[in-house]
Amino acid sequence: MKLIYTDSLVVGAGLAGLRVAIASKERGLDTVVLSLIPAKRSHSAAAQGGMQASLGNTVKGMGDDEDVHFQDTVKGSDWGCDQDVARMFAHCAPKAVRELANWGVPWTRITKGPRQVVVNAEKVTIEEAEEAHGLINARDFGGTKKWRTCYTADGTGHSLLYAVDNKAISMDIPVHERMEALSLIHDGKRCHGVVARCLITGELIAYVAKSTTIATGGYGRIYEVSTNAIICEGVGQALALETGVAKLGNMEAVQFHPTAIVPVGILTTEGCRGDGGLLRDKDGHRFMPDYEPEKKELASRDVVSRRMTEHMRKGKGVDSPYGPHLWLDITLLGRKHVETNLREVKEICENFLGIDPAKDWIPVRPTQHYSMGGIRTDATGQSPHLKGLFSVGEAACWDMHGFNRLGGNSLAETVVGGMIIGKYVADFCEQNTLEIDTNLVESFVAKLQTEIDQLIDGEGTENPFELKQQMQRIMMDYVGIFRNGPELEKAVSELQDLLKRANALGLKCKKRHANPELVEALRVKRMLKVALTVAAGAAARTESRGAHAREDFPQRNDKDWLNRTLSSWPDANSLSPQLEYEQLDVMKMELPPGYRGYGIDNAIAHPDTEKREQQIADIISQLGPDADRHQKQAALMPFDVPESLKPKNERLSDTLNSGAGEIAK
Amino acid sequence: MRTLTDTTALFKQKVASAWSAKADRLQSATGILLGCFLLVHLHFESSILFGKEAFYHVVQFLEGGMFSETGHGYPLLTSIFSTFLLVVVLVHAAFALRRFPAQIGQWRALRSQMQVVNHSDTRVWFWQLVSGFILFFLVPVHLYTMIATPEIGPHLSAERVYHDNAWLLYIVLLPAVVVHAMFGLYRVAVKWGISANRTGLRKLAHILVVYLMVIGLLSLGQYMMIGSELTLPIEPFRP
Amino acid sequence: MSQQMAKGRTLTFSIFRYDPQMPDDKPKMVDYQIEEAPGMTVFIALNQLREQQDPSLQFDFVCRAGICGSCAMVINGMPTLACRTLTSKFADGKIKLMPLPGFELIGDLSVNTGKFMREIAERLKLWLHPKTGDDDIHRLEAPMSPEEAAKLYELERCVECGVCVSACATKQMRDTFVGAVGLMKIARFELDSRDARSADDFYHVIGNQDGVFGCMTLLGCQDNCPKDLPHMQQIAYLRRKMAVTLV
Repeated sequence: MKLIYTDSLVVGAGLAGLRVAIASKERGLDTVVLSLIPAKRSHSAAAQGGMQASLGNTVKGMGDDEDVHFQDTVKGSDWGCDQDVARMFAHCAPKAVRELANWGVPWTRITKGPRQVVVNAEKVTIEEAEEAHGLINARDFGGTKKWRTCYTADGTGHSLLYAVDNKAISMDIPVHERMEALSLIHDGKRCHGVVARCLITGELIAYVAKSTTIATGGYGRIYEVSTNAIICEGVGQALALETGVAKLGNMEAVQFHPTAIVPVGILTTEGCRGDGGLLRDKDGHRFMPDYEPEKKELASRDVVSRRMTEHMRKGKGVDSPYGPHLWLDITLLGRKHVETNLREVKEICENFLGIDPAKDWIPVRPTQHYSMGGIRTDATGQSPHLKGLFSVGEAACWDMHGFNRLGGNSLAETVVGGMIIGKYVADFCEQNTLEIDTNLVESFVAKLQTEIDQLIDGEGTENPFELKQQMQRIMMDYVGIFRNGPELEKAVSELQDLLKRANALGLKCKKRHANPELVEALRVKRMLKVALTVAAGAAARTESRGAHAREDFPQRNDKDWLNRTLSSWPDANSLSPQLEYEQLDVMKMELPPGYRGYGIDNAIAHPDTEKREQQIADIISQLGPDADRHQKQAALMPFDVPESLKPKNERLSDTLNSGAGEIAK
Repeated sequence: MRTLTDTTALFKQKVASAWSAKADRLQSATGILLGCFLLVHLHFESSILFGKEAFYHVVQFLEGGMFSETGHGYPLLTSIFSTFLLVVVLVHAAFALRRFPAQIGQWRALRSQMQVVNHSDTRVWFWQLVSGFILFFLVPVHLYTMIATPEIGPHLSAERVYHDNAWLLYIVLLPAVVVHAMFGLYRVAVKWGISANRTGLRKLAHILVVYLMVIGLLSLGQYMMIGSELTLPIEPFRP
Repeated sequence: MSQQMAKGRTLTFSIFRYDPQMPDDKPKMVDYQIEEAPGMTVFIALNQLREQQDPSLQFDFVCRAGICGSCAMVINGMPTLACRTLTSKFADGKIKLMPLPGFELIGDLSVNTGKFMREIAERLKLWLHPKTGDDDIHRLEAPMSPEEAAKLYELERCVECGVCVSACATKQMRDTFVGAVGLMKIARFELDSRDARSADDFYHVIGNQDGVFGCMTLLGCQDNCPKDLPHMQQIAYLRRKMAVTLV
């Protein structure tokens, strides 16, 4: 048995994982990162549009600050998020952007003077301040009050991932590539590392660590069509689930992105609409203003996706051999803009559709895109149920997204969450010792070995590729944008059948080293459990919130459902997860539930909401008229971040205002 | 703090760096010189296509006829210039040798890569490699002849081509040198970014190859004809 | 859509097969037949082959959208990204797939580009070496000229797919040559005003036979780069700059 010891073990080498690894290494901790693939190929690279941070440099972002970002995020989440975490996040986002600039990200910068942009299908000229010249620019994104999404053309994720991985290389952080973590080593209370399988040699290796951070991204590939990379299969969530102790949060919260191309499901960035692109139906009609007169194409993703589906159901979709779709029109932005700021989009259109988006409309349809759910953690990123297990990024339910994530907040979560949680991980490693129980480690290795032996030498006949395909179809057909009780029940029972069948998997390829069929077989069983948490969670939640839309329960029900679903799998042989609920306390919210400002206003109020609103009004009036926004915030909902991240964020408006003040004197 | 060995190593590295920069520049510079010379050379030599008299005057002019008492010029100039060129060729070859696949492993790697990957500029370079190898042997022979027997003229040159069987040399030398030099000039231009219009440059190189081959072959034919009409011993041409 | 006309053709894939970890295995080409579907890419075809005909077939895909650079292979003599290569491109329906030459072969079409890229990054120190000072993340960021930022992004679009390395005969012959990917990244940091390294520092790394003066300008890099990066122009720029300084 090969054993590798380290202080901080990170599973997943995308932005979030690397950022935690860097934070660990900065403290002089021994750090190892495991990854299925080379770090720079991680799915973080696919984030095109940008990351939200309230820098407020551009004239269209003036007046932006942490408060506005926080409110947008909470409204986006349909009040499903953890408001403490959303605050921590909004506070640290500008710091992360600036840190990344120091690490080499070539953020797109502001050019002073007049600039032509497209807003609401009209060309508008805006004037950037002299003082803003050369500062980090931002574009408009859905569900935001201000232009807040910082970007590098439309390769933001790529630029960020390269800068962060380069930083990791410069710090000599080892990334063990083509290494798949398949189980967590734990004793029911504390996590001690993982057992991983080398995808080249097939060797099983036990990594024993003080802290284990899962940063393996989302579980989009449990769906047949997804914008996600094909490695986003939810194995990270399955690792936690299979401990029987750790819990997953809000697994039913699955986001569908409005504009993925048809049929392959590759994403075109929200930046297309942010920069002024429109959605059109089969008659060429711009239909979004009919549904959302206020935010139009730039309502939050869950709302736009639902409106698009609604519109197609009315027969307004464009027929194609792959079912109906709608059009994304970015021709009005002009060729120059498309070729510089939306270049990846152009390449994708050329290569996969054979069209020129500067001149042709792009066929799009809402497609599975993001997993709000994940491994439930506390605000420090640690599992409340299994000590030493951390999770960060899309893999986690840290819970700043609740039931719907805003565009530009996921890329931001990876680096901001990584920055914050990385420090907590390092604290944990400093405060705890390495506990090595070789018997325990051996038992976990042996268990995995038996599983592999069984697959290769066993009598099973089920085909892993087939099982996976059937699971993906079920998720597409019954756990999609609009959901209902009967279909969800059907999904659960069919998935359970598949899970049963997965006990009898058999392989044609008997190799023990590099064997794609074995890899598939090991994953599919784990994926099925993850899929079941999604379907079961959705079936149980009899309300509509954010991306979880029940046709049979169309109202957001704060009275009964202002809570977070927790799923766990205590009995390994059981066919269904155990569900329980964590209440969200309205009395502690800085922003009590209300109308989002877009979508349908049909919520059933929580009894505490009115009380809390009154309380907030009282607190504010007690503070008096001289209290600044920071004091007000601290009085309403104090939150904590690591010491080094506490200072306030400086903004251009601070220097501009103080300048103006001096003139006034 | 840097130790003494560090500094020495650094110094060595710097020398090596400076050397490789020089080598690259010298290879390019000598290449440009030789390529440009070839362009001019082939035109002078093809003046035979306009008749013996035309060629005679070109030679007379180049050998400094106007300064000589006889009016024919000094063939010694040809010797001296050929010697200079030989030196340039040797320098060029010496630096170009860096590029040759010296070991059998390198050669195999090159061949197998070319079998898997289909890339036209690499193929062109391969032919430059082959032609360079040929030129390494043939150019010194040609230049040595010019140094040893520098007398040039419509009849004297024709004698060499036809009666001394130098056409055997030229029929191989001509395509080798034309391909090597024209694509070499193309490569130098893109290598140093002299022009960004690569497509145009490549087209120009192709046109020049065809053009130079045509005038080269025609004039070679012309010398063969002249040579076949001459009887031995040859009388130098007098206008 | 024009993809429809390709429907129903039978494609013949001729695929390089070799498992270096099997003691008796020898490299060979194996033919597979598959029915073409509308809009089919080599990514879709290979997955279908694996699922339906041979589950041992090794290849690498991650994003399947031409963004991550995992799936480069040589398709009918052209090194390129398999995920965005439409099968309809090949009129005779014959598609020959070879692994990228010049990398460690993991098996069949899978090569270890990741290991190569990490090594080159470590060797050439391919990360920003920030000037000390302006690094307070709580304060306003240092301005940068918008043109510079745009230029940097242009050079940063490299996805480390390895195509330039496999398309470079120079690199194949000389293992120590840094290749286009290394030179392009140096050019990127050389351009970056935030980087503390002087011209002299870069010369130590690439001002030699293994660096910019080892390049023979065969331009396999430029001609095959799936991101259309300006290799020719950038390498020429580095060469001029270094040749001038290293007098």
